[in-house]
Amino acid sequence: MKLTDEMKDALMIIGAGGAVVHLTTCSADGKPNTVGERFVAVWKDEYILIADMFAQKTRLNLMENPIGVITIAHPVKGRTWAFRGPTTMLQEGLPPDFEFHGAKAKDVLDEWGNWAEKEPPSEVPPDIRPPRLVQRGVMFMKVDEVYSYDASEAGKRIL
Amino acid sequence: MTKLTPRMRNWLEGLGAHIGTATKKGFPTTIVVESAKVEGDNIVKFQLSEAQVAQVKQNISENPQVALGPGGLGSIRAAYQFKGVARLESTTLIVEVKEIYCTKPGPEAALRLDTLPYENIVKFESTRWRDTGPPK
Repeated sequence: MKLTDEMKDALMIIGAGGAVVHLTTCSADGKPNTVGERFVAVWKDEYILIADMFAQKTRLNLMENPIGVITIAHPVKGRTWAFRGPTTMLQEGLPPDFEFHGAKAKDVLDEWGNWAEKEPPSEVPPDIRPPRLVQRGVMFMKVDEVYSYDASEAGKRIL
Repeated sequence: MTKLTPRMRNWLEGLGAHIGTATKKGFPTTIVVESAKVEGDNIVKFQLSEAQVAQVKQNISENPQVALGPGGLGSIRAAYQFKGVARLESTTLIVEVKEIYCTKPGPEAALRLDTLPYENIVKFESTRWRDTGPPK
């Protein structure tokens, strides 16, 4: 399933502070975890990735229950979308041929394993900018479904 | 007992939250509500639309655990996560917050705040953030 150009633009804003999303994961026994995330990108039209700056509970959840929901938090501008699908952590040290739903970890990490170099976070305001962008890997979702979170039509399937 | 600070209240009431819910087997669904009302020390009430109620009713009935991440600009400027249990009363989602975490990226990500003395939480906030709520 391919994301639309409008969705890709909303998720991947270069400069101007970038996009902010919430990533919801869940333990295997149903305890949700919802965390705001910067440093979001789209990969090959059907995957969303987020820099893993040492997420704690998210990592544990994905290790036991590899599914997530990404909701656009800012700027929204009517783009009230929730993306749901299998989600994992990719980081250096995985077997060289490791794949996740059709994506090779090596290819993803070659491109996005050093976010600070690829997209320096210089536009992030100083009071919320991390002192150094230290990255462990990427959180990586294969989007299977997009639904609306607009209150009037919440849950309506868009893609 | 968990107690929200004025800053936490201001961000939740001003910009609402992304509300993570799940089935008891861990299939997640997130809804977004743009404002909230905080009552007492740790009760957060969200007014849902009929569509939102339909989307989360089954999840809440089988698994009342929820997670709240502040909405809008709060997603990055109010780096908290609130976890608790929820119930639906008609179209009002009532969340009793039981745990509060800092979600600033880096060394303080996942730092649990509600286990600190209340004065220390307020002090922590004052040394990490300049604002006391969303911009007017």
